[in-house]
Amino acid sequence: MGPVKAPVLGTGFHTSLGKESRAQTLQNGKRQIHNLGSQLQLNQHCLDTAFNFFKMVVSKHLTRGRKMAHVIAACLYLVCRTEGTPHMLLDLSDLLQVNVYILGKTFLLLARELCINSPAIDPCLYIPRFAHMLEFGEKTHEVSMTALRLLQRMKRDWMHTGRRPSGLCGAALLVAARMHEFRRTVKDVIGVVKVCEATLRKRLTEFEETPTSQLTIDEFMRVDLEEECDPPSFTAGQRKVKLQQLEQELAKKLDEVQGEISSYQDEIETELENSRPRLRGPYAAYAKGTEPLDEVLSQASCSSPMGAEPEVDRELEEIEAVAQQLNQDFICQVIQGEEQGDEQGVEGGTGEATSPLPPRKVGPSLDSILGTLPNAASLGLCEFIQECSAEDTDGVLDDKSERGELDMDGIDDKEIERYILNDKEVQIKTDLWMKQNEEYLREQKEKEERIAKEKEQGTYKEKPKKSSKKREPIRASTASEAIEKMLEQKKISSKINYEVLRDLNSSPAPIAFLDEPPTGTAGRKKLTRRKKQPNKTNLCLANTTSIMGKRLRPLISSTPKKKRAAAQVTPNLTPAATPTRPNMSSPPTPTLTSPGPTLTENSPVAHDEGAEEEEDEVEEEDEVEETCISALQLLGGKEYGCEAEEEEVF
Amino acid sequence: MESSNDVALDIIITNVVAVFRTRCHLNLRTIALEGVNVIYKPEYGKVLMKPRITASIWSSGKIICTGATSEEEAKQGARRLARTLQKLGFKVRFADFKVVNVLAVCSMPFAIRLIDFTKNNRPIASYEPELHPAATYRIKTLKATVQVFSTGSLTVTGPNVQTVATAVEHIYPLLFECQKPLCK
Repeated sequence: MGPVKAPVLGTGFHTSLGKESRAQTLQNGKRQIHNLGSQLQLNQHCLDTAFNFFKMVVSKHLTRGRKMAHVIAACLYLVCRTEGTPHMLLDLSDLLQVNVYILGKTFLLLARELCINSPAIDPCLYIPRFAHMLEFGEKTHEVSMTALRLLQRMKRDWMHTGRRPSGLCGAALLVAARMHEFRRTVKDVIGVVKVCEATLRKRLTEFEETPTSQLTIDEFMRVDLEEECDPPSFTAGQRKVKLQQLEQELAKKLDEVQGEISSYQDEIETELENSRPRLRGPYAAYAKGTEPLDEVLSQASCSSPMGAEPEVDRELEEIEAVAQQLNQDFICQVIQGEEQGDEQGVEGGTGEATSPLPPRKVGPSLDSILGTLPNAASLGLCEFIQECSAEDTDGVLDDKSERGELDMDGIDDKEIERYILNDKEVQIKTDLWMKQNEEYLREQKEKEERIAKEKEQGTYKEKPKKSSKKREPIRASTASEAIEKMLEQKKISSKINYEVLRDLNSSPAPIAFLDEPPTGTAGRKKLTRRKKQPNKTNLCLANTTSIMGKRLRPLISSTPKKKRAAAQVTPNLTPAATPTRPNMSSPPTPTLTSPGPTLTENSPVAHDEGAEEEEDEVEEEDEVEETCISALQLLGGKEYGCEAEEEEVF
Repeated sequence: MESSNDVALDIIITNVVAVFRTRCHLNLRTIALEGVNVIYKPEYGKVLMKPRITASIWSSGKIICTGATSEEEAKQGARRLARTLQKLGFKVRFADFKVVNVLAVCSMPFAIRLIDFTKNNRPIASYEPELHPAATYRIKTLKATVQVFSTGSLTVTGPNVQTVATAVEHIYPLLFECQKPLCK
């Protein structure tokens, strides 16, 4: 639980009320820091610094809403960074079993809020630590030096920005070990360095690509190459761009080649036309019929695949033109469904088109076009394709819908309708979905049934109510006894001056006003409950609103039993108490006007306070105690009213 | 709007996120069962629809659209969506359309020394190689975040397209200082 959320009625109010809990928080934090820090083998200076950071964090209320463990870890890591110790965030997350990115987030936030600019991580810091763990024996130092040199080279070659330092260290150490003839496998290294094998291999590959890797060991130790490389991800990107460019060029070339092919085909076609005029006749007669297909097929099988048939060639042109207009995918889909497989013949003819992968754009279309020729040689197919392209009925491609100009409100209704399934499809989908989500539906049904049952029984509750702690009333004969018993039961506040409280027993002190009332809270819980009452009470009071409110809280919190004890002890309280007790919202002014009974009420409560303070260290000033009384005086009756209210609130 | 320097930088917008309300309760089950391209996860209580724009639909009538490449497109997509819902039988109204987030990428013609860059812009920029390979630069006044990679590419996120362009302009001189010329 964090510090109490109270209405900020004064500058000091917020912090003062949380001091008791604040001390606890700090103590707790210190303990955890020491725990974690010793596991990381941090020296005392580091731990103290971490604790200072933690204190700053708490004072800025940054612990709210965050797990204490995360905050502690972040503080420790901050120290590690500022001191330059070779601890990784990964280590901390290992210890805590928390996701490293969550810790990282907390760490970044704290660093930002505390304005601590930690220096960037240098992978060189980790080398000695990892080298030690890899057990090189006597040669550890030499291997470390070599690894350091390698790392510096990597830095110059731009391998290290944006990469986890541990990965780089791993690669450098591996190479250094091999250079000094130590057999350290990749597995050993990754066990120490905590990166995965793939990362390590990648780093090694990248290093391999730098010119430095070509040097021999001796040369490397002596010489440092001048040129620097680009970051590896950049070179990878460049490579991709180059590949794309190559592809485009190839595609262009293919186009040209295609053009040539088609021109050849034209020539052949004209030749054939001249030599075989009779084919045209029957073909023309059956323009849309399927019979010519057989004829054409037979012709296709015996003639050369390069579009030997005149009709075929003509259609080839048309189809090509159409194809170039249409989306490539669409054609493939339509055609693949229809063609049977004269492709081999076709492919032989368009060898160039099919050779490399990149010209996939142009190649297949040509293939598929030529491939369909034997099957759908008639004009029918042409027209069919053209129809298909024009109508958009297949709904194969989404972007077709976009072709209809979408102005501000112009939405293609047809397209929208396509998004809505018809009834049969709905049925099928419903069934599928039900099957898929059976469990969830079943749970929902059970829950509903349960709720219905409970409603019938009248035991249904909206939410489980929190059970409030019931405390036994203290039975005591004198005020001091009551105080002692109360103190036994409750936690003792370190903020109350018990000696002064003791004096109160004897005589009521004069009224005085507070400046900075510290808190005398016994338990945090009570404070949170009491939050509401001071609001009401404070609003009513004129001058001492803020002060009284502040005072009221601790007093109220510490005195539920006291009050009862007091009530039992002093019968003269009752006249003042009873009118106020049932009437919670009564303004305090009536109580103010009756200082007599309130004064007497004062004493037992004051006595309680005094007794309480007796048992603990002195932290507050006397003046606080006096103001305590004044608050009580003014709001004595109120307290009782508030007490009653307390019970009801929960 | 491009950078006002000599070099013209291409700022490519990759994603635009927008929200709008239909001001009427939506039955998610109906949408899920009668719509094409819909994923329904009852635990989360929302639905995804994909006519180029992916939308998360909540039963209260709030809809978040992602995947558009421009503000205009986002609006059109949202309208299409509303129309579809209307056809399904809900009384939708196109209310409170607002573009919430714009993501753009941009590439510098030079590489950047991230460590120097972070040092120069201490509190605003942060770089944690253990966590993320890029340095994050948050511009509070514009409410924009720029992630700077060592290769010179940037990703910029901001509340609208104008902010994104301004952020790139803002950060260009800072990057220029810490550049490292790319040797090809």
